[in-house]
Amino acid sequence: MGVTLDAPPSAPPSTPRPRPRARSLTRSPAGDVVLRWRRTGLSARIDARSATVTLAVLALALAVFAWSLTVGDFPLPLGDVLRSLVGRGSASTDFIVQTLRLPRGLVALLVGASFGLSGAIFQRIARNPLASPDIIGVNGGAAACAVFVIVVLDGSGTQVTWGALAGAFASAVAIYLLSYKQGVTGYRLVLVGIGATAMLTSVTSYLMTRAEIYDAHRAMVWLTGSLNGRGWDQVRPVAIALAVLVPATIALARHLRVLDLGDDAAAGLGTRVELVRSALLLTGVALAAVAVSSAGPISFVALVSPQIARRLVRGAGAALMPSAAVGALLLVGSDLIARRLFAPTELPVGIITAVLGAPYLLFLLARANRIGSAG
Amino acid sequence: MTDTAVPQPSSLAAESLTLAYDERVIVDGLTVTIPRGEVTVIVGANACGKSTLLRGLARLLKPRGGGVLLDGEDIHRLPSREVATRLGILPQQPIAPEGISVADLVSRGRHPHQRWFRQWSTTDEEAVAAALEATEITDLADRSVDELSGGQRQRVWIALALAQGTGLMLLDEPTTFLDLAHQVEVLDLLADLNRREQRTIVLVLHDLNLACRYADHLIAMKHGAIVAEGRPGGVITAETVAEVFGLECQVIDDPLTGTPLVLPVPAGLRAGRPLTPAPA
Repeated sequence: MGVTLDAPPSAPPSTPRPRPRARSLTRSPAGDVVLRWRRTGLSARIDARSATVTLAVLALALAVFAWSLTVGDFPLPLGDVLRSLVGRGSASTDFIVQTLRLPRGLVALLVGASFGLSGAIFQRIARNPLASPDIIGVNGGAAACAVFVIVVLDGSGTQVTWGALAGAFASAVAIYLLSYKQGVTGYRLVLVGIGATAMLTSVTSYLMTRAEIYDAHRAMVWLTGSLNGRGWDQVRPVAIALAVLVPATIALARHLRVLDLGDDAAAGLGTRVELVRSALLLTGVALAAVAVSSAGPISFVALVSPQIARRLVRGAGAALMPSAAVGALLLVGSDLIARRLFAPTELPVGIITAVLGAPYLLFLLARANRIGSAG
Repeated sequence: MTDTAVPQPSSLAAESLTLAYDERVIVDGLTVTIPRGEVTVIVGANACGKSTLLRGLARLLKPRGGGVLLDGEDIHRLPSREVATRLGILPQQPIAPEGISVADLVSRGRHPHQRWFRQWSTTDEEAVAAALEATEITDLADRSVDELSGGQRQRVWIALALAQGTGLMLLDEPTTFLDLAHQVEVLDLLADLNRREQRTIVLVLHDLNLACRYADHLIAMKHGAIVAEGRPGGVITAETVAEVFGLECQVIDDPLTGTPLVLPVPAGLRAGRPLTPAPA
């Protein structure tokens, strides 16, 4: 092959070897920042671009979040809001900030992040931009169950939350088993999911036709997805879920680097494909389920966030953490619009995300059509 | 490059191996030993089970019966990652994620050597640099895989398998979709890796004449069983080709390499007409 054996390999992009330094900072050939601790042989690799995008988008989301605390029927200067946050506000600002606006803003951030991350996980595993919990039936299952609790059982808000959670997991398991055939392929998952969504939607519609007018209204608001009246009761479960599931996702994401190359290649590189994939799907389902049960099946956040993140990172495949950040920004921004657009009348946030997301979905499909692939 | 340790190639064998998809048995009770440090090529008609056998040998398919032995141990009892440090497999159609760079893709071959606390060691770095060098794609490292020609892309995948650092490499039809020049380029590269580093290489190939040229050991398969195996000169005769491919042919010596050269008989020359040398 004309490879000269005697010539030393023309300097690979590595650090000069024998320099005894405790730590070193280099770049991997893939462009990641690599940190090595010599003595222990430990090394960590961080995708610099992905980390930068995540932090920048997160900062923007926090800025919008801070702004959302100041606007409303009673506009507050940022100084008053900050004073209230550190416990030195007046009773009335404390009520407005700490009871009304702060928990709602936090729910928006956390639910948005959960949807974004969940969508990214599904899209990455299925290698298909249409795979997201709102399209493949997770949200559909949650919705059918929640409406059942509202209409038939006349359940309380907490019971609706649990019903949605149960519905999301039940439909996810059913969809997984139905699409299982010597492992789950992305295409099958999407097709089975779309079928399941259609069935679950008809169940929801049937329940709605049987409902009393008051229940029907309540169910309709839930189905659109709304953050109105969300308080600390919703912040806690989503915060706990994210605290557990984000580290789990980061741990599993290492294997996505080889799962991206196809099942056979991944297995050949020593990954237990079905185990890793099931674990990731479970994480994605859990994230979506917790988000849906807290805020209703808010549409398009899970679908669109990974696509926006991917274009920002310009990397291969859906980027996980950037998607979470984009989801948080998208939802906190949409909720601000939903609150203020026709103030004092509030819109359910799901309407805003749909109005923003639907054109994007059409653009995505048109583009996929032109390229001639669904990928 | 040569000092980046290529491990001793592992031994690989199948014992009364039965492989099936659902109820369809593809390979039935097959026993074979892959000669160490040689290039083995598996040939056979379409759907004869050669790719299935390769997938079975690489632990990608669970056997219905019998087993595969890697260094004398049942390959399905070994941990996945352990297997991946001894045996590398390049599947027929691996997926290159959209927009991925050559270096990024090749670096993923180091996966079996990495842990959550050791994500990119100096050894990883050297192995990737050596793999890029050996496949002569160092210059392409920062290019996007999408932009490469078919031949270059196949080199990238081979580089990934090299970076994995196994002494035993299995490749499923690595020359499909390549034009003749690129086929020869890829096979030369593999032959070179075998000669220089004594890696054991197992290939599935379609082209009989190229198979005869590059194989130290040739396995001819039909209906999931081995019809003949051994040196190409001993295996490829007009009778074997007729049996394996159902093809009437003449076998002569390759004027360049002395290996068998298969000349299929066109329909026009059959039908009782004598097999005279074809008009020039």
